[in-house]
Amino acid sequence: MTDTTKTPPELEQLLADLKPDNADLLAVLHRIQDAYGYVPPQAIPLLAEKLHTTPAMIYGAISFYSEIRREPPARTTISWCSGPACRLKGSENMRRALEAVLGIGLEESTDDKAVGLHLVQCDGTCALAPLVRLDGHPKGPLTVSEAIRLARELKGKEGQP
Amino acid sequence: MMTYRELRQQAEQTWQAVESPPRPRIAVGVTTCSRAVGADETLEAIRQEVSRRGLDADVAVTGCWGLCYAEPMVEIAKPDGSRILYQQVTAERVPQLIEEALASPDGVCQELALGAVSPQPVDGVRPLSSLDFMAVQEERRLMNNCGVIEPESIDHYIARGGYEGLSKALNMPQEDVLWEVSDAGAGLWGRGGAAFPTARKWEFLRDAKSEPKYMIGNADEGDPGSFVNRTLMESDPHGIIEGMIIGAYATGASYGYIYIREEYPLCVERMELALRQARERGLLGESILGSGFSYDMEIVRGAGSYVCGEETGLISSVEDARGMPKIRPPFPAQSGVFAKPTNVNNVETYANVPLILRHGAEWYSSVGTDDNTGTKMFSLSGHIQRVGVLEVPFGTPVRRLVYGAAGGPPEGRSLKAIQPGGPLGGILHADNVDLALEPEPFREKGALLGSGGLVIIDDSACIVDMCRYFEWFAEDESCGRCSTCRGGTQRMVEILRRIANGDGRPSDIDLLRLLADAMRYANCAHGQAAPTAVMNSIEAFLDEYQEHIEGKRCPAKVCHGLIRYEITGKSYGLPEAAAICPTAAIVQQDDDYAIDQALCIKCGACRELAPAAVHVVDAFATSD
Ligand SMILES: Cc1cc2nc3c(=O)[nH]c(=O)nc-3n(C[C@H](O)[C@H](O)[C@H](O)COP(=O)(O)O)c2cc1C
Ligand code: SF4
Ligand code: SF4
Ligand code: FES
Repeated sequence: MTDTTKTPPELEQLLADLKPDNADLLAVLHRIQDAYGYVPPQAIPLLAEKLHTTPAMIYGAISFYSEIRREPPARTTISWCSGPACRLKGSENMRRALEAVLGIGLEESTDDKAVGLHLVQCDGTCALAPLVRLDGHPKGPLTVSEAIRLARELKGKEGQP
Repeated sequence: MMTYRELRQQAEQTWQAVESPPRPRIAVGVTTCSRAVGADETLEAIRQEVSRRGLDADVAVTGCWGLCYAEPMVEIAKPDGSRILYQQVTAERVPQLIEEALASPDGVCQELALGAVSPQPVDGVRPLSSLDFMAVQEERRLMNNCGVIEPESIDHYIARGGYEGLSKALNMPQEDVLWEVSDAGAGLWGRGGAAFPTARKWEFLRDAKSEPKYMIGNADEGDPGSFVNRTLMESDPHGIIEGMIIGAYATGASYGYIYIREEYPLCVERMELALRQARERGLLGESILGSGFSYDMEIVRGAGSYVCGEETGLISSVEDARGMPKIRPPFPAQSGVFAKPTNVNNVETYANVPLILRHGAEWYSSVGTDDNTGTKMFSLSGHIQRVGVLEVPFGTPVRRLVYGAAGGPPEGRSLKAIQPGGPLGGILHADNVDLALEPEPFREKGALLGSGGLVIIDDSACIVDMCRYFEWFAEDESCGRCSTCRGGTQRMVEILRRIANGDGRPSDIDLLRLLADAMRYANCAHGQAAPTAVMNSIEAFLDEYQEHIEGKRCPAKVCHGLIRYEITGKSYGLPEAAAICPTAAIVQQDDDYAIDQALCIKCGACRELAPAAVHVVDAFATSD
């Protein structure tokens, strides 16, 4: 996860060696997201200039990818696996319960930005189905009750300043 | 620069220390699936335990045998030649393992022992090859190194014959390399789903006029439930790289990309390292092995888009654009990346190539069937007892994988369906469990063998619900270019949703057929194949659809629009059930509890805690 205690390097620095027609965009998007936690809007015109294209084209590319964020992530992200093995083992029930406890839908964060829900695809850890990934670490197999307790705990913990 | 022979000699010395270890060697398999159950912690615990006890032992990191269900796995090899694999070695179990296995020279931790890496039992431990999951795998070719070598050591790969195929190829005319791979030779075809003959594709690239030419490895592996490419990249990365270099030599490509999906960070790490090591040894870059042939490549990391696995979508993505599939012609061999000639193959396809060059086309085609030579990797998940990855010759019956290797559905359940090749691959009735694993029999049933995912479905599942999921996936991942695909998947999801909610209409089945017909005109295989599972299932599971539409009943009691949770009876679990309910739908009146149906979201948590009292009933049950 992003280390928020450090100030990220300047965007210009992260974009320094970009060249058009060099398969650089995805790499730099990952680099920016690793540093900032998301791709800030001010990166778009800079990217367009470096890659000799228009901001609209860059925005179009960025918005195409579900793993590139255009907003800062919540402090904790619960990534819910939408895959088939998880579904067969009750992930849909788990999703509804998580949404109800947190009061948000997928791709949303609680008002205080404490917890976010994110839909992810199967990464082949289906032996743990149904699972969620908590800041990237798989947790499973989870019962619905366990998922509810997890969400309540995260919400409650963050509630105190 | 070293010759191949010199590289091999040097590598064999390193490997010697693994084959006949001078002191005990403890190897932890570290891969995505083992990390998920704590392999990193196991590794750390082993390091600490070894140093705490002052043991003279080596600790190493290996890859994955494919036995996901047994992770984290640890292999202990001893100077006397015994090699034993232990299963489910979580960090807490490390002290026990080390105590029992290493306290005496012939110690074995029987409780955790999974199998011995030898044809005979060792110290009372059965051979690994006798495990049900391994026994169905007559010959592991692509997976020969998986779990065995250290994936971060190029020397291990080379010592076991790696890069020998490349060294041979570089001394052959390009034409002969193509012949080895071609239908006349090995008969290799693409493992990415379309089953197109590989050498024919390579000839298109070779014959293209423009320069430079690109050789691309497709490791997007977007099909949910498929994780065979991941296993290869994490456990034996050089096989893919060697195959790509040979392909580049045969076609005159000078640069390449390996496109790896975002979900596989460990693959990116290991492939990056493997590329660096290959470059250091003169196996990649300028004048490979002194041959005068130059080729290099880099990794592109995806960002969560399924259609970027489609070859022209992948090309768009590499070109810094939205990863939308393109309209063909022109075909990639004429105009691919940066409008230059390009070849895209699946990474498993490439991994076959070094083996063909090394052992010859005849050896290669000695397993499989007449039409489909060689082996294929499959990943097994869903309602089975043992999740994992394995490799079998083409033509192996599905049954051997489902029941033999994976142990079939859990106790008390029966097989209902098999879902091959990802969400677009279709869904087969359990009656087809004797089908041979090769493209033709699957195609005859209107399904696709696909790239290796097999999701096993038992009778607790609802087919309408699963098809709704497959169609939702297709809708969610559609790039939006074609109205047939974008709109077609949307309409299908709408129809399936209303069927699942009890609002289905008798005409809906025909409507689904009509939509599927129109979707055949979509630009790429994403839209064209999106209706596959729905079309399969309205044939094979028509009564289940009818039951939803006409009976307003979900026979498996899954579709939440058609069920209701009710409390009938008493249970000590009820107070806890009331407390867990995320919507406070369980109300207490004196000693009795009841569910407020207006609040209940049908998540089932209460039933987990008070199974004796909470029941699922049909929402629209008429008298029975
Ligand atoms: C929607 C869609 C997704 C695909 N995803 C993949 C993928 O993840 N990996 C892959 O190798 N091929 C995928 N393919 C197939 C590729 O388009 C292409 O046929 C394949 O990479 C060619 O390699 P092969 O000849 O070695 O099979 C996909 C196709 C479609 C239509
Ligand atoms: S068929 Fe679907 S995924 Fe393929 S190009 Fe058309 S809209 Fe895009
Ligand atoms: S099914 Fe879920 S929402 Fe409904 S009563 Fe039970 S716990 Fe509450
Ligand atoms: S389906 Fe969830 S990890 Fe595979």
